[in-house]
Amino acid sequence: MEITVSHEDWKTCFAQLAPALLLFARRWTHSQADAEDVVQEAFVRFWRQQHSLENRGLLYATVRSTALDRLRREQRRSRREALSALDHDEHCDPVFAPEDEGQQLLAAAIARLPNEQREVVTLKIWNELTFAEIAVALEISQNTAASRYRYALGTLKKILQPHE
Amino acid sequence: MNDFSELEADLKRLRPVAASPELARRIEQDLAAPALSPTAGVLPRPRSRARSGGWWSLGLGLTGVVALLVIGLTFFDQTAPPRPVAAAPTETSKDQGFQPAGLTQVVYRGRDEGLVFPPNDSGTVRRRLRYETRETMRWRNAQTGASVRVSFPAEQVVLAPVSYQ
Repeated sequence: MEITVSHEDWKTCFAQLAPALLLFARRWTHSQADAEDVVQEAFVRFWRQQHSLENRGLLYATVRSTALDRLRREQRRSRREALSALDHDEHCDPVFAPEDEGQQLLAAAIARLPNEQREVVTLKIWNELTFAEIAVALEISQNTAASRYRYALGTLKKILQPHE
Repeated sequence: MNDFSELEADLKRLRPVAASPELARRIEQDLAAPALSPTAGVLPRPRSRARSGGWWSLGLGLTGVVALLVIGLTFFDQTAPPRPVAAAPTETSKDQGFQPAGLTQVVYRGRDEGLVFPPNDSGTVRRRLRYETRETMRWRNAQTGASVRVSFPAEQVVLAPVSYQ
């Protein structure tokens, strides 16, 4: 996905990115409203400095950083503790809009993925980032991003097999 | 072509929940607001407080180190045999008291806490790195061979400037 825009084009660009960007932010938030707050803060901060979406990895890194800062402020704990607490929480708002039973099963299977795998799948499938961009966004190596992606798809396949 | 192409296609057909129309309007308002404002339309964030929290930790840590040093030095001064000041040449007192023999700092945990943006969205983006260390100081009495060791945990927060391509 090649996205290069001028300052005036941010709306078109944001409209394209918003659902997937929110999906990414949901990794660290409990509700869609919280995710929107994170995306708002991160996008404004990013756009003021970059004025384009050429460096998409940095946009996602900004979302991640904003979400983690917010999480830590709210929970008054270290990032690791806060993330660990979040891992055990149930997300109450749906993150997908499934159209049929098959998609419902798929959405449920995605929810069962470990967070580290789910965020890579989110960036790869719905945000269409390359592994190089995912590496920048998550501050991991490209190989790690690729292997998490493969593991995630393998896990999804296993989860979905009995229902097929 | 891989084994997962069908699954990938299924995943792509699944659509994330759409953003509310309010979100774009809120962003537009924020972007229209002057960038000089520290909060510039976004929710007020206690960024400075969060950052100063790190400096508070560092300050408290350093204060603790100084306090330990003062207490330690006072203690060693008291244990040293009292002698007339005039009759004690500097070199002699060095030979007879506890002298610093070593200082080690072991970093046992380093944490990258991500990017830190300047409050008014101008200036350099920095990366916040937190190091947890254990510092050990040793003193040795050359005359008696006795040695004393003080060890304490410390925490350092480093804001390293980052640049992007």
